[in-house]
Amino acid sequence: MTRIPQQKMDQIAQLWNARGEGLITHMALDIQKVSTEGVLVRMPFNSDFCVDSDQTLLHGGILTALLDSVFGLANFIAIEGVSTMATLDLRVDYLRPAHSRADIFVRAHCYRQTRHIAFNSGSIWFDGHEDEEIARGAATFALTRGETSLYEAMLEGKGLK
Amino acid sequence: MNLQAVNANISRVPFFRFLKFEIREIGELQAEAEMTFDQRHIGNPVMEYYHGGIIASFMEAVSAIAVRPDFADTPAKPINLTVDYLRPGVKGPLHARATITRKGKRMASVSVITWQTARDKPIAEGLYHFLLV
Repeated sequence: MTRIPQQKMDQIAQLWNARGEGLITHMALDIQKVSTEGVLVRMPFNSDFCVDSDQTLLHGGILTALLDSVFGLANFIAIEGVSTMATLDLRVDYLRPAHSRADIFVRAHCYRQTRHIAFNSGSIWFDGHEDEEIARGAATFALTRGETSLYEAMLEGKGLK
Repeated sequence: MNLQAVNANISRVPFFRFLKFEIREIGELQAEAEMTFDQRHIGNPVMEYYHGGIIASFMEAVSAIAVRPDFADTPAKPINLTVDYLRPGVKGPLHARATITRKGKRMASVSVITWQTARDKPIAEGLYHFLLV
């Protein structure tokens, strides 16, 4: 397992949390563990994402959105010199009803990268129920590589460099 | 099922209010909807593109409504989905049309397409399976 320097990890967490308005900000994601082998992210319960009036059942779509976001983060960390990244396709299986008000954990990793494509897989469970996955997903991303990496550009944009 | 009743049901679902969409047309085998852009839908803050997960959520919501427009006691349970992202979704309204490919007693397959300026320039296409029991 390749270790990520603490400074880079701190910068990634700072960039992630400083995105301003947007879905990722609204999901209030908290990065728990990061390495080139994969990432672990926590999402607190949010009643905006529920489908029922009791607000105990999450809509599947938010699980899909969560996987898409965390795949992006995993690629950002695992792949050197990426300048842009776009989801090409996404497949999700809903394994159990997402019936809980517990926080959610997502684990995702980039299991293969080529010059143009990144391949990802990941899974989701409720806090304390890692053996009862609620969703599993896989995606491919189209990458462009260039002089300015996304990471460097974001650092400069945020005045962190 | 009239549009007014369907949209009244939509307004009672917290996540559907978050997505901010309205059903514009509903038939035996299809549903068409329009989603309003919101800051909270953004995936790429620099370009102000829709988050891919919001597009997938919108397609899932419209598909489920096509299958169960009456919001029956047994809602259509999503089994899985496949989404093909074709173009970035830019700031502005997003349209979706869900077409039921097959609806049996237990299962339904729905194909969905989303677009912005022109139907023949799709933003994303999706295929959704639902369990009806």
